[in-house]
Amino acid sequence: MAMTAVARETVFALRRQIAKIEGTLPERLAAPAAAPLDADVNTDLTIVRRGIAAALPDAFLPIGVQRFDAALSGGLPKAALSEIHGLETRDAGAVAGFALSLTSLILKQTPGLPVLWIGTSEIFREAGFPYARGLHASFGIGPEQLLFTEAPKLVDALWVAEEAARMTALAAVILEIRGNPQRLDLTATRRLHARAQAAGRPVFLLRQAAEPEPTAAPVRLIVASAPATPRDTIAGPLAGSIGRPAFTLTIGKSRTALPGQFTLEWNPDERAFDERWSEGRDRAKNPVPVVSLSGGGKDPAPASGAVLAFPALGSPISPAARNQPSRPQRAAHLGPRRAG
Amino acid sequence: MGIADARAMHPSIEIVEADPEADRRLLEGLADWCDRYTPLVALDGADGLFLDVTGCTHLFGGERAMLDDILSRFFHQGFDVRAGLAATPGAAWAAARFCGDRIVVSGEEEALLAPLPLAALRIEPSTRTSLESVGLRTAGAVMAAPRAPLARRFGALLLLRLDQALGRLDEAVSPRLPVAPLSVERHLAEPVTLTEDIERLVGMLAATLKTDLERRGEGARTLALLLFRVDGAVSRIAIGTSRPMREPMLIQKLFHERLAAIEQDIDAGYGFDLVRLSVLAAATFDMQQADLAGEVTDDGADIALFADRVRARLGEGAVLRPVAVESHLPERAVATIPFTEAPRRTTPPKKPDRLQAPPQTIFPPERPIRLFRSPEPIDVPATEMPEGPPLNFRWRRALYRVTRAEGPERIAAEWWREAASDPITSTRDYFRIEDADGRRYWLYRQGLYGNTQVPPRWFMHGVFA
Repeated sequence: MAMTAVARETVFALRRQIAKIEGTLPERLAAPAAAPLDADVNTDLTIVRRGIAAALPDAFLPIGVQRFDAALSGGLPKAALSEIHGLETRDAGAVAGFALSLTSLILKQTPGLPVLWIGTSEIFREAGFPYARGLHASFGIGPEQLLFTEAPKLVDALWVAEEAARMTALAAVILEIRGNPQRLDLTATRRLHARAQAAGRPVFLLRQAAEPEPTAAPVRLIVASAPATPRDTIAGPLAGSIGRPAFTLTIGKSRTALPGQFTLEWNPDERAFDERWSEGRDRAKNPVPVVSLSGGGKDPAPASGAVLAFPALGSPISPAARNQPSRPQRAAHLGPRRAG
Repeated sequence: MGIADARAMHPSIEIVEADPEADRRLLEGLADWCDRYTPLVALDGADGLFLDVTGCTHLFGGERAMLDDILSRFFHQGFDVRAGLAATPGAAWAAARFCGDRIVVSGEEEALLAPLPLAALRIEPSTRTSLESVGLRTAGAVMAAPRAPLARRFGALLLLRLDQALGRLDEAVSPRLPVAPLSVERHLAEPVTLTEDIERLVGMLAATLKTDLERRGEGARTLALLLFRVDGAVSRIAIGTSRPMREPMLIQKLFHERLAAIEQDIDAGYGFDLVRLSVLAAATFDMQQADLAGEVTDDGADIALFADRVRARLGEGAVLRPVAVESHLPERAVATIPFTEAPRRTTPPKKPDRLQAPPQTIFPPERPIRLFRSPEPIDVPATEMPEGPPLNFRWRRALYRVTRAEGPERIAAEWWREAASDPITSTRDYFRIEDADGRRYWLYRQGLYGNTQVPPRWFMHGVFA
């Protein structure tokens, strides 16, 4: 780069100014192709990011995964239309699941507001109707927070979405559409985006079995299922079990992000995303079991004897230790006292 | 006389099959139209209408003017109508059928009925013939006869009808539609055809309605707009609101959506000359305190209005709300009901919802996030164990290879609901499976192996995130 630092600073300041006027996100400067994605080299990237974050601190919904948030320069825009694509109808579970986890994150910030899910009859017939019990169990969205609209025609669905997008009384609007209908063109998405911007609430456009096409949405994510990790138990991962839902995300379009692919795992208990760790790192992160083993269990782990301040099992028993009641005796001695 | 005889006498005769159902519909259409004179319109047999015009006549310039108006309007619509107006339904019935266009002043019923034949008394034909057989041929003769023998011989109905016609006993006319508690209307000298004009009229009528509603401390829950077309057709457009409403602008907005939705169904024809807005149901209206800036911030009101507008355009079931139902069958455990505003929660919920904490287990069973409306049958060629999950399956003509499976979770049918269902064939074993691409599904096998008559079948019921 031939520009001096001062000149670049001016350029960035001007860009921020333009972005503020236009209400859009500033474009990312093209990073040198040879440079690795490193904080030292990409000073320009950090400057841009800091610029947006400083100008609009509340404009982004952080996903909670550092690498992904950094790629999107702060997270998903909150007051905007976001496209979430699934390549096939059978991905409807993953697409809906990802949108719902985003909704769940939003509901953490705006608790109590309802979520409206609009779908055409076609998509609800093909991909299934949202099931409130599952939504509550996996995403913590209670049935009293859910509203559904089933529109027989796409025109009606778009109309309801436009009306809903400008309401501040809804936490989020999910519009689910199948395929590439002609009516959902640049104009229609622009209207949705403009209303979402005005209301400051997100609109998630779920598009099942659709080809990417030009829309007004600033971000397009392509979601597919990822094989789930096995369930974690005290004794290690349970073979053959299906653990937390996982998604493979591809950033299909973003004015600020570099293209990339991520595998995220949704944690339904904490209602937060984790990035999928490789097997080795996971173990290294958590070397000791968090929960202590139960003493009265059927098969106590052999290690539990070693940490006690008693002589090791192999050593000859000392006279003092002989006075100590043995394990079953202690239990029998404690039994009646508890009952009394 | 048969058709053949009639044709022999008049070869050019036109023969139309009797259609009582169509006649009935026509009469109901006429009754709808007569709503413009009074809200109390009742059907009378197959060929008559009762209009209770008590307190309405002055709106049309008196009884005579009203009767003339009814007759001339019906005449221009192509109906030959005969009308009678009296203080009792019985006398009016007789006047319309036997005198024609007569207005009977209260107290003159006896003079009207006396010369009329017995049919004017609305009695059974058998009673009539037996009365005639004893020489009582006119209503006056019956009136002159002693009452006790008449009642003994011809039954109580004869005297009841007589007393009702003479006004000695009250007779209620039961209107076919419930009477709206509040209703405002506007007669138009020049018929309107444009939807915008109708909407503007709705706004004006709603503004009139607002003062009445304010006086009663109520808001409208159900509103109906009646459009009377010049040629007699009546369109009835009803909307419902989630919370009591009296603001004219909002009412106009709701009718705007409704009219936009049914624009092609309403045929303005030559125009509407009477527009009426009625409140069919009202409820207590809670006043709300505005803040100093004069703004009432109430998210619930926004959502209620939004739901009303969507419903006005897309129909009653357009905005749905899920409710948890006590049932262990997955498809019954959640019901979706049309949006109604939940009662406002003033205190925090005391005990956790059942959904949050199922009583028996610490870990609630996994439930999918999408459920198919009806379980879709899948082909399962092989399972590792008879009772186990499938190794692969074919769903919607695509083959899926199962890599992992959890289950089974056995869910039995609700025997207390369906008495006839066989417990073996209706038992389901649910499996949560993951395919080679990482998609997670919810399958079940209906029925058990070893039951030779009905082999178990497999279904796809839902998808997980």
